[in-house]
Amino acid sequence: MANGTAKPTGLAFSRETFAKLTPGPFLQAHLQQAEPVRANGRSLDAFRTPTINTGSLSHSNGSAVVRIGDTAIVCGVRAEILLASDIPNPPSDDLSKDEIVEQMGLLVPNVELSTGCSPNHLPGNPPSTLAQALSYRILSLLHTANLIGLQDLRIQYAEPPTDDDLPDEGPKVVTKAYWTLYLDVLCIALDGNPFDALWAGVLSALQNTLLPKAWWDPDREMIVCSPLASEATRLQLRHLPVASTFAVFSTASLLKARSEAKSWVLADPDDFEEAVCVETVSVVVTSEDDGRESVLKLEKCGGGHVGKIEMGQCVRLAHQRWRDWQVVMSGG
Amino acid sequence: MPLDTSSYALAHLRLDGRRWNELRRLHAQTSTQAAADGSSYLEMGNTKVICTVAGPAESRKGGGGGGNAEAKIEVEIGIAGFSGVERKRRGKGDKRTSEMRHTIASAFSANLFAHLYPHSTITVNLHVLSQDGSLLAACLNATTLALIDAGIPMSDYIVACTAGSTASYASNDEDADPLLDLNGLEEQELPFLTVGTLGAGEKVSVLIMETRMQMTRLEAMLAAGVDGCRQIRSILDGVVRAHGKAVLDSAIS
Repeated sequence: MANGTAKPTGLAFSRETFAKLTPGPFLQAHLQQAEPVRANGRSLDAFRTPTINTGSLSHSNGSAVVRIGDTAIVCGVRAEILLASDIPNPPSDDLSKDEIVEQMGLLVPNVELSTGCSPNHLPGNPPSTLAQALSYRILSLLHTANLIGLQDLRIQYAEPPTDDDLPDEGPKVVTKAYWTLYLDVLCIALDGNPFDALWAGVLSALQNTLLPKAWWDPDREMIVCSPLASEATRLQLRHLPVASTFAVFSTASLLKARSEAKSWVLADPDDFEEAVCVETVSVVVTSEDDGRESVLKLEKCGGGHVGKIEMGQCVRLAHQRWRDWQVVMSGG
Repeated sequence: MPLDTSSYALAHLRLDGRRWNELRRLHAQTSTQAAADGSSYLEMGNTKVICTVAGPAESRKGGGGGGNAEAKIEVEIGIAGFSGVERKRRGKGDKRTSEMRHTIASAFSANLFAHLYPHSTITVNLHVLSQDGSLLAACLNATTLALIDAGIPMSDYIVACTAGSTASYASNDEDADPLLDLNGLEEQELPFLTVGTLGAGEKVSVLIMETRMQMTRLEAMLAAGVDGCRQIRSILDGVVRAHGKAVLDSAIS
């Protein structure tokens, strides 16, 4: 203090120390530059490139391994037979075919996060709130999207004509059983944004699913399946919706005026960014039969910084992401 | 049934075309997960297992255990619903799973240098993605790789494989061949044992047999199993060395 000629030495932190001590200001320092960039080097609206590997599990009807950056998940589809005679309350006739799939619960997703995929999800614990919420989000999205028609999941039987039937009536076709698809999704590594990867895994596994040829044997009174792979049918999905998640980083705090807060929308957040962002937006888009792209689902929670303009940008980015995913999912 | 086909009687080829002393395709990778301290992925034929190791870390129960002079090893096994031929959701108290967990934990407690980490716990998590025979052996091999990847010192690799016998299909003792590395179909029909050795020598660390068979055939099966373990050890050692070399090369460049 007495002689001011000596310069005080500054405290020089390494990048990693700075990130660990104050993650919020660390990210803000990156975003406030003239060319905003994120801590992982991506630009604000850059998604991570996904890779999909299907059909690697030998015992399941369909499987997929999806990797988005360091997030990796495995999804396996098993088809089991549900006999119509075992259903206590058969669906009433006035339900449309797609509602029957939902009401009878023919699609059963289950997300397992307690696998040691990240330090926040220690194994051996019962499913956390996040795992249960993700399971439910996938279930509701499967029903909303109407991906699978009931005719792919039904095993029907044309009863032979008896003497009581009128001569000009066609053969009576009755549904003897349904295929129930159990979708088990295991998260192997989690680096932020589980929902996009889980949904992509479910979709790819369903696309890869082979259902064996099954019919009702009237003599043995049971469903019989053919073991030949050549007679198995691949499940047809009506369309391929794609999910995109965004996180919003804002400098708002209780000590500052609301108008002074700045916010940035980050596409496909990783674990570090998810920890400092409170607000998230999730968009699911698909394309109709005539090629028009439509929004299937919008979710937003955690804050009020995303308005109409930012939401429009998110949807536009989600459409772009949909086109990128089509290339990956068709094996490009 | 797996040996009823004429191919075995005429040419001594099993259903998948292997001879009695041939292992299935063994594929292993280490350091597959960035978040875990050590991780590995192992395939023995169609049996696919992922292993992650967390630790050594402070015990969750705090100092309640008193003076633990050595690290405790805890094993958790999760068998996925799509792994087997039928979809079975196994609960936590499943006896078969508990026995496997205890076997793996006790095998490694004797082998790891646990005295270097007192009052701590090493947690091993195994996920079975697909089961086609040799499940316990695959779990032991995957655990060895993951523990090496985590940097926990041990005296040697613990490697395991299964060995069976064609005793029920042979007309007399001389024709009863031992079989190495049984797949799922063979395990259901033939008597077999799982043997785990410490390194390439003859020190047997794990031996589990749950089927009946005559004593005279046991020695041949054990010899075949120990030989198979020796082959597996050299494969796993190659994987570990290749990974180490890759890490060193990327650090230098």
